[in-house]
Amino acid sequence: MSISGRLSRFARRNSARPEIDARRAGIGILVVFLAPALLIYAGFTIYPVLRTFYNAFHAIKPHGVVEFVGLGNFTALLLADSIFWKAVSNTAIFTIVATIVDVFGGLLLALCLFARAPLAPLLRVVWFTPVLMSYVVVGIVWVWIYDYDWGLANAVLHWLGLGAYEQSWLGHPSTALSSVLVAHVWKWLGFNMIVFLAALHALPAEVLGAAELDNCGWLAKLVYIIIPMLRATIVNLLVLSFIGKMMVFDLIWIMTGGGPLWSTETVSTYVYKRAFEWNTFDLGYPSAIAVLWFIIILAFIAIMTRLLRQRDRLEF
Amino acid sequence: MHACFAMRSVAAVGLVTAAILGGVATKASAQNVTLEVWSHEADEPAKVAFRELAAKNLEKSRPGAKVKITWYEKNPLFAALKTALPAGKGPDVFYLEPDQVEYITASYVIPLDDLVNWNNIEPWARKVWTHNGKTYGIPQEAYTNELYYDKDALKKLGIALPANGQLTQAQFLEVAKKARAAGMTPISQGVGDRPYPGAYISGEALLRKLGPDDYQKLFTGKLSFADPRVVEVLKWVKELVDAGAYPKNFMTLKLGESHYYFYSKPGAVTLPMGSWYTGRAFVPEDKGGQPEKFPLGIMQYPAMDGGACNQCKTSAIGASFVINAASKQKELAAAFLNAMSTPEMGKMWIETVYLQTGIKADVKNFSGPHAAYFTELMDRQKGVTYFIGSPRDMVTGECKDTFAQVLNSAFPGGLLTVDQAVQMMNKSCYKG
Amino acid sequence: MATQMRLGFAQLRRLPLVLFVVLYSVVSGGPFLWVATMSLRTTAEIFKNPYGVPSPVHWEKFADAWTKSNYSTYFWNSATVVVVAVALVTVIGSMAAHCLARYRFRGNRFVRFLILSGLVLPPQLLILALFQILLDLDLYNTLTGLVIVYVATHIAMTVYILEGFFAQIPQDLFDAARMDGYSDFEIFWRVTMPIGAPAIFTTVTLNFIILWNEFLFAVVLLTDDAKRTLPLGIMHFTGSHQLDVGMVATGLMIAILPIILIYAFFSEAMIKGMTAGAVR
Repeated sequence: MSISGRLSRFARRNSARPEIDARRAGIGILVVFLAPALLIYAGFTIYPVLRTFYNAFHAIKPHGVVEFVGLGNFTALLLADSIFWKAVSNTAIFTIVATIVDVFGGLLLALCLFARAPLAPLLRVVWFTPVLMSYVVVGIVWVWIYDYDWGLANAVLHWLGLGAYEQSWLGHPSTALSSVLVAHVWKWLGFNMIVFLAALHALPAEVLGAAELDNCGWLAKLVYIIIPMLRATIVNLLVLSFIGKMMVFDLIWIMTGGGPLWSTETVSTYVYKRAFEWNTFDLGYPSAIAVLWFIIILAFIAIMTRLLRQRDRLEF
Repeated sequence: MHACFAMRSVAAVGLVTAAILGGVATKASAQNVTLEVWSHEADEPAKVAFRELAAKNLEKSRPGAKVKITWYEKNPLFAALKTALPAGKGPDVFYLEPDQVEYITASYVIPLDDLVNWNNIEPWARKVWTHNGKTYGIPQEAYTNELYYDKDALKKLGIALPANGQLTQAQFLEVAKKARAAGMTPISQGVGDRPYPGAYISGEALLRKLGPDDYQKLFTGKLSFADPRVVEVLKWVKELVDAGAYPKNFMTLKLGESHYYFYSKPGAVTLPMGSWYTGRAFVPEDKGGQPEKFPLGIMQYPAMDGGACNQCKTSAIGASFVINAASKQKELAAAFLNAMSTPEMGKMWIETVYLQTGIKADVKNFSGPHAAYFTELMDRQKGVTYFIGSPRDMVTGECKDTFAQVLNSAFPGGLLTVDQAVQMMNKSCYKG
Repeated sequence: MATQMRLGFAQLRRLPLVLFVVLYSVVSGGPFLWVATMSLRTTAEIFKNPYGVPSPVHWEKFADAWTKSNYSTYFWNSATVVVVAVALVTVIGSMAAHCLARYRFRGNRFVRFLILSGLVLPPQLLILALFQILLDLDLYNTLTGLVIVYVATHIAMTVYILEGFFAQIPQDLFDAARMDGYSDFEIFWRVTMPIGAPAIFTTVTLNFIILWNEFLFAVVLLTDDAKRTLPLGIMHFTGSHQLDVGMVATGLMIAILPIILIYAFFSEAMIKGMTAGAVR
């Protein structure tokens, strides 16, 4: 971990003291430093966002035909689009479950290594490897793992004598979403583990030592001492993981394409489908989905920050 | 009539066409131009060779012209087209199938009536591509829905097929049950990457039960799926599904994998498929093709009890080519379409792809390593009444998506009851 | 005696821990090893026995993938796009971060907020409009267009990490530099950049990994086979009917290897890079 946020805030406040002029610069200098970033950011991030909002109120048809439809896209979306609501509920389930498993699974792994498991320094590096893999790689590998005929999942079940549980994991609506979720968690567990491990090593040793002396059980130690002390890290990771999962696209697109029977359709895959797969060629409706979803994400971030962070707010 | 698979002699017309083509060729300018073509079927060597030859022929007759064909798989091809065309970009010529009418309604492709030499094309095939009096695509591949089977496997089950290849619906159900009992998969089929294979059995059964007129009504929203005849058919399909007719990995098995599943590993008794099956099956075994000695047979789809048209069969147009409205060289593009559609090319198609075609072609004496197969295919066309077009050519919009999800996948996948399937289909398709 | 007993007990208690650690190592590393073995076997061999050891070892498959398939094109496309985009976003981002961290000016907070709000923008909100915009600019289906999009969408994260680090560089250094008569650019180049090098290295690794793996923007903004990046190229391969598992596995290894090689040498830097946003 670099230097903690508190320190940086302290440094900033400290240097806010009126100095000679090293903190001042002519407008020309500012422009030269900021312009490249601002221009490219404005042109290819802010403008697209605004244009998406504009699109959401229009029907964008082939050959440059643009029709104003007002709230038409939104009313259709909210009132008549059953696939959208299916996608919303799938995304919600995916986000909530994956976030919790990711963060607390990561904590568990970190605790294992923190408890001086053999080869901990090496395992730390090995367990992190899936984080570096692209979704394309992870997706394809897990599609193979779930393959009915020769996949690893069924082979392991078979080997364990649990042949009765062999099934087409991605082919049944009741298992498809959880199967994709497992692949997603597999990729990200190492990430959360590393962050927790860093936080654990930053804990003051005396506190843990004191708990040891009190003959505190490991569970009690975890619940009463470690978790409260890691609160900031946990909150940080929950929010981060939550945002990431609300936008999940790549892995699902590669593994199931949203099927079977829309059981893995997420908002992101649905946006893509409506834009480029359906036979409508209309960019307005999918833009409306993206806009609505963005507003929901923002609302969730606001609520989570308020609920979980209390005093320590998002840093920027 | 269309049914004769473009086998009749049209040599005279062909000669005339060749003359016309030659005339056009001399007029062509000598400047260097490249014609961009995007084609599906990258993994079917015979079709690749066919189209590359047509490209070479065109280049020969048009000095300075170059034809660049980019080979795609189906889904990536349409993903690329759906982003390129709204951009006013994309190739001059591309592959399309007749159910993809959205390209026509969005005016991404142009009418070919005055651009292409239609004398070489079967009128019934042209009709498939005709919308509001204009023709948008040049049909190349024609096919029938066939029920392939493994002759040895059927023998092993102790079932004798009548000479006309026709089983009743009860007999076919019996095949499925016996096969399962013997540890064999009765029907190899998968819907992992296509929106239609799962509906082969139910589609042909519905056609036979209802007859062409009501069948058409069913898929154009004018007949309810709750019609007792439809329900009877679906109940029979459900019996098949419950008997374990389809592979366990039906939902994720891809099209090509279902072929391999049928003839190699683990093997299946039957494979319902368009007759374009051979395009991928008749490649060398080490390239994933069918083993040389595989005892491939063709039976008729099961006869339905009280069926209105038990001699009915689906015939449809597959691979076709269209011209991008944004193309800057439409005339050259049309010349390429013509170069693919000469009688000589039609003959080559039948002889090398082992498949029917929308091109008029004269093939009297069929030879080659798969002559026996083609003879059997022709035998199975005797006395048949054709229905032109597959269900997915008839359904549109939400109904199309529901067809893909329900009749194609969830229902044969065993995830829905007959009532649920009827209800879901009616909700998005029935307008009565 | 008592301590010994406790030790023995502790040892026993460690058994589940060790078992769990072994099990998770198999789960996290197993799939990767499996793909590695498959990349050296032919599809026929794989279908015969999916979990066999490669024998004989088909090293030539890598050469085949590289020469006969388009993997070399995909690889160089990815390399070009990622190297150029990372270089640009690093330079542009550190300039902006330096400016925001060092200078007090009217609108500082607003600019900061504007740029950092990019952290919460879902790509889906951008992608459709970016598609239209690149079309308007004739940059659709070009690697240049993809580079621009990559730079624009990764400025926020880069500035976020760098600005935090730059702000911690003691002000005295800058005051001293100013006294020595350094110009604003010299201060950036000779003070901020060298001292901020670890943070810059962190953003470079982070951006490199993310962009090397990027899929959504590439799939929408590129169509030509000759312009595909590696993730798209691999997807193209799996779309095939006759799924050539062995060849796809080889392709996967080609996509993974650069990352793994760098990771072998710079694992700490890469771990730090990937988690930089979360830890700060």
